[in-house]
Amino acid sequence: MEKYSNRADLIAALSDDLTPVARVKPRDGMLLIVFATLAAALASIAIFEFWPGMLNGEASAFFWITNGLLAVLGSASMVGLVGGALPRVGTRGNAPFWSAAMLAVMPIAALITLLSVEAGHDHATSFADPAVSYWECAAYGLCASVLVGLAAIVWLRRGAPVSIERSAWLTGLSAGAFGSLAYGITCPLDGVGHVGIVHVAPVLISALVARIVVPPLIRW
Amino acid sequence: MIADEPTFSRLMVAAQDGDKAAANVLLTEVGVWLERYFRRRVPPHQIDDLVQEVLIAFYTKRATWDPARAFLPWLSAIARYRWVDHLRKVYKHDAKELMEDDAVDDSEEDVVLARISLDRLFVQIPEKQAEVIEMVKIGGLSIREAAEKTGQSESLVKVNIHRGLKKLATLVEEAE
Repeated sequence: MEKYSNRADLIAALSDDLTPVARVKPRDGMLLIVFATLAAALASIAIFEFWPGMLNGEASAFFWITNGLLAVLGSASMVGLVGGALPRVGTRGNAPFWSAAMLAVMPIAALITLLSVEAGHDHATSFADPAVSYWECAAYGLCASVLVGLAAIVWLRRGAPVSIERSAWLTGLSAGAFGSLAYGITCPLDGVGHVGIVHVAPVLISALVARIVVPPLIRW
Repeated sequence: MIADEPTFSRLMVAAQDGDKAAANVLLTEVGVWLERYFRRRVPPHQIDDLVQEVLIAFYTKRATWDPARAFLPWLSAIARYRWVDHLRKVYKHDAKELMEDDAVDDSEEDVVLARISLDRLFVQIPEKQAEVIEMVKIGGLSIREAAEKTGQSESLVKVNIHRGLKKLATLVEEAE
């Protein structure tokens, strides 16, 4: 933008160039992120095939708990992220952070389960279980989260986030959670050791990466 | 007299719909409001530049205001964002100067700017950091003089000033 020596000249120039604008609505941001998650899920199904265990009752409780928590965290972060693109002052809800804490219960529970080896009592999983170290799932979840993260960045650039660091964290949390969820529906490994650690890891990694990568992309 | 919330909102709705006359009045009134907003936040000679900067940001991001919400909190958030950005630039500039060890050569303008920007936040940072920032960035002492006065090493003075300025920038950014 040209620099004006006089404020009146600037105002005259801006008024003269004025065109009608379509208002930025939070609903549009949510739709964008939800569509990106669906696209990531469809891409995962196309590559890895849908796991029917979800429908025939084979999926364990851990599978549902983890994916349910991922959905909650993704949604809470998305709501915070979308609202944060519209400037305002005052306190905001901390739902995404509480949800992150809630999700942290899973890897902790998984570790406790893995470490609780009692004679004659089978916990059905341990560090010896190869599924626990099947880290490819975390990599696939992260790939899916890139798509969701890009959608979030596109939205934030349309808006005017005034809390850049917060928006970056929320981008990482929602992208990691929705990305892992999108891939997770194709994964047949449903023991707590696997879903509680490997499927949650993308959330942490995505949040840390987003905190570093996203701010320069959304600053305005 | 500065326009009130309903007037701002009405003008903004018209401006979003492309009404040039309404936009002209709105931008003028917003300029007056911003001038008052920045009066206690930046040195007088920097107000007009900052107001112009915010007017451009305001214009560019006008689609992000929702008529269902109040106008002035939205405007304040944009003004505050730009102000924090302005302070960050000032602090970065100060920190760079410090690392080049020529802080003693600060112009009077920089000293005044530092005084105004930092005073209200000093109480929130460790005393040792506030003390050396006060001496070097406001009082105009050299790093060596500040080190002699406080008993800290020269390196520690530099580190304390650097960390203190960084902390101040964070405090401003986090404040709602």
